[in-house]
Amino acid sequence: MTHPSEQISAYLDGELHGKELNGLLEHLSGCGRCSAEMEEIQNVRAAVRSLPVLELPDGVVPDADAAVLPMRRNRGLWVGAAAAMVALVIAVAAIVTPPPTAVSVDDLSSRFGARVSLDPAFSPAKVVVPELNVVSE
Amino acid sequence: MVESVPLTWEEVARVYGRKIYNFAYRLTGNPDDAHDLVQEVLLRVRKGLANYQPGSFEGWLWRITRNAFLDDIRKRKRRPTTPLPEEVDRWDLASTESADDAYARVTIGDDIQKALLDLPFEFREAVVLCDIVGLSYEEISQAVAVPIGTVRSRIHRGRRILKETLG
Repeated sequence: MTHPSEQISAYLDGELHGKELNGLLEHLSGCGRCSAEMEEIQNVRAAVRSLPVLELPDGVVPDADAAVLPMRRNRGLWVGAAAAMVALVIAVAAIVTPPPTAVSVDDLSSRFGARVSLDPAFSPAKVVVPELNVVSE
Repeated sequence: MVESVPLTWEEVARVYGRKIYNFAYRLTGNPDDAHDLVQEVLLRVRKGLANYQPGSFEGWLWRITRNAFLDDIRKRKRRPTTPLPEEVDRWDLASTESADDAYARVTIGDDIQKALLDLPFEFREAVVLCDIVGLSYEEISQAVAVPIGTVRSRIHRGRRILKETLG
């Protein structure tokens, strides 16, 4: 007996007509193997069709007036390059920025003036600025 | 089947953008690749609309989509491949539902998605165009440029492999 296996999917998809359709239906009525296969294929078909429809993420559809579409390809490469550039800038800044050396009392007064006015217990006689490692008396 | 040409490129993007994205995502399993493919297809549509000959717009559009996908595969042969991510990125979820709900909704089909990716390309493409995109066999035949009998065979053989994988 010839089993019209490939016609099963076409039947489930509504793509089988005329003689082919009638022939398959007649065959199915007397063939347990093909009936079982149809049930299995029907389940698989339903499973694939049950996959959720994903929404378009923002930014996928580019601006119609944009001359060049944004390229996201190789974004890992660009992220790496950007990170390297940031690291380079930080390194250069660390080299060219002079370390804090002297801090005048006037500078400190202006920085801590607000605290002096709000905190009566605060004594400007000795100001410690840990991050600058400076003690002003 | 849509026989008339959408008037503008923006309409193509609005009407078909999500379908193209879902086609690409189910074919690749990768949201970044799907993102890039949608943009590439829309670029090609934008260029091609001026020379479009009236006929099956769906067939024309999906032929462009398929060619863009295959071109990308050819390019990738010269680059390291991107592995299938273990998890779906959260950014591709609809904004109208909570992130957790949306994440659960998307990951429900992970086993099916992985089974799809195990299919030979021709079978995967036919199954996705039929069951995800919703094209008729005639439209798939036009998009893939093979006889309808071949479409029928590929879809059924793809489903049989899926049945074994998921079974």
